[in-house]
Amino acid sequence: MAAKYVILPCNGLDKEAGCLARELALKMAAAMDGEIICPVLYQTAPSRYASLLQEGNLIVIDGCATRCASRIAANNNLKISRKITMAEEAKKRDYNPGPDWRLGAGAAAFVEDVWRSWQPVFMEQGAGRASEENTGLFAGPVEYAIHRHDKFIFRVPLEGFYFNENDCWVQVEGNRGRVGISDYLQQNLSDITFVTPPDPGTEVEQFGEMGTIESAKAVYELVSPVTGRVVAINEAVLEAPELINENPYEKGWIAELELTNFEADREFLLDGRRYLEVLKEKVADFNAGK
Amino acid sequence: MAETTFMGVPRDKITWAPVIDYTRCNYCLECAKFCPHQVYEIREEEPRLIVANPNNCVVFCRACAKTCGPDAISFPEKSRVLETIKALRQQEGGK
Ligand code: SF4
Ligand code: SF4
Repeated sequence: MAAKYVILPCNGLDKEAGCLARELALKMAAAMDGEIICPVLYQTAPSRYASLLQEGNLIVIDGCATRCASRIAANNNLKISRKITMAEEAKKRDYNPGPDWRLGAGAAAFVEDVWRSWQPVFMEQGAGRASEENTGLFAGPVEYAIHRHDKFIFRVPLEGFYFNENDCWVQVEGNRGRVGISDYLQQNLSDITFVTPPDPGTEVEQFGEMGTIESAKAVYELVSPVTGRVVAINEAVLEAPELINENPYEKGWIAELELTNFEADREFLLDGRRYLEVLKEKVADFNAGK
Repeated sequence: MAETTFMGVPRDKITWAPVIDYTRCNYCLECAKFCPHQVYEIREEEPRLIVANPNNCVVFCRACAKTCGPDAISFPEKSRVLETIKALRQQEGGK
């Protein structure tokens, strides 16, 4: 039995990206026996959709980076199971959405292609996925250093973790590395509502994009500390992004990579002790800047 | 407050900062609201938004671009910036 989906598209009718979101929503609803939430009506009469939202997995389709649909979901504390952004899908396919509402010549083919690439994801989710247990390789940190500031406590693992100055870490075991965000970044973002890890198989470069993290405050692009190929993502974090808030170094890891250039990458990374110094400065600067 | 070095290299030698495409920008100011490092400055006259403090921008951060609806923000090419940093570090180390 396929999972039931509820689709919340962006309502940006003044821009092509918004109209594309709507087109995709219609296609998905028809193909997967899903229901569409009207973003305008939802904001004036949310109760109308309450039972739908309780039953189904919520898919949010944003048009452009303004992310109206995501924001509606975040403002109403809705749990999002998948998210698609048309502007990003367009970038991947070299499609240029126009500045106004008119659908471009290739729009229908573009939407069809986006749907085709996402379809397997939903089919798989409906079928349920066996989660691979490989916690054995990566043991949790043995020892944390602690930096206190007012009522905040920042933790940094001292052994086995390397950081970049963008507050992302890698834990290395042989040629495998797990990546995630630091306690400092996690606390800055506060409640994390959604994680988009890189797709398995993606080649990530050191300091390249390693997915995004969202909180009610902002979307944050993660900066990869290492070069490698994504071999696994943390499914648990997709289901429960709050794991990152609970413990960003253990349950809150984001992706696992096969490292391809670690000896060279390491030159640009900080070990726990040095990162702790950087963190202290950041905390001090952050408070001075306020 | 800006960091004065990044990965051991003086920050002002690294050309990493957002570039605004004014033909696309609609002055929604989401980017300026988002960035906590005073990189952007909002002004009375045109253009109403400028990158006033490029050296405050955190090297390899691109976060504000994600908030820009019209996709008006771009950054220098990462690999070239990394090359510069590598070269500068070697100079330092070679001294
Ligand atoms: S977010 Fe984009 S459109 Fe808005 S002010 Fe900044 S550059 Fe301009
Ligand atoms: S890239 Fe990051 S640090 Fe630089 S201006 Fe944007 S948000 Fe601020």
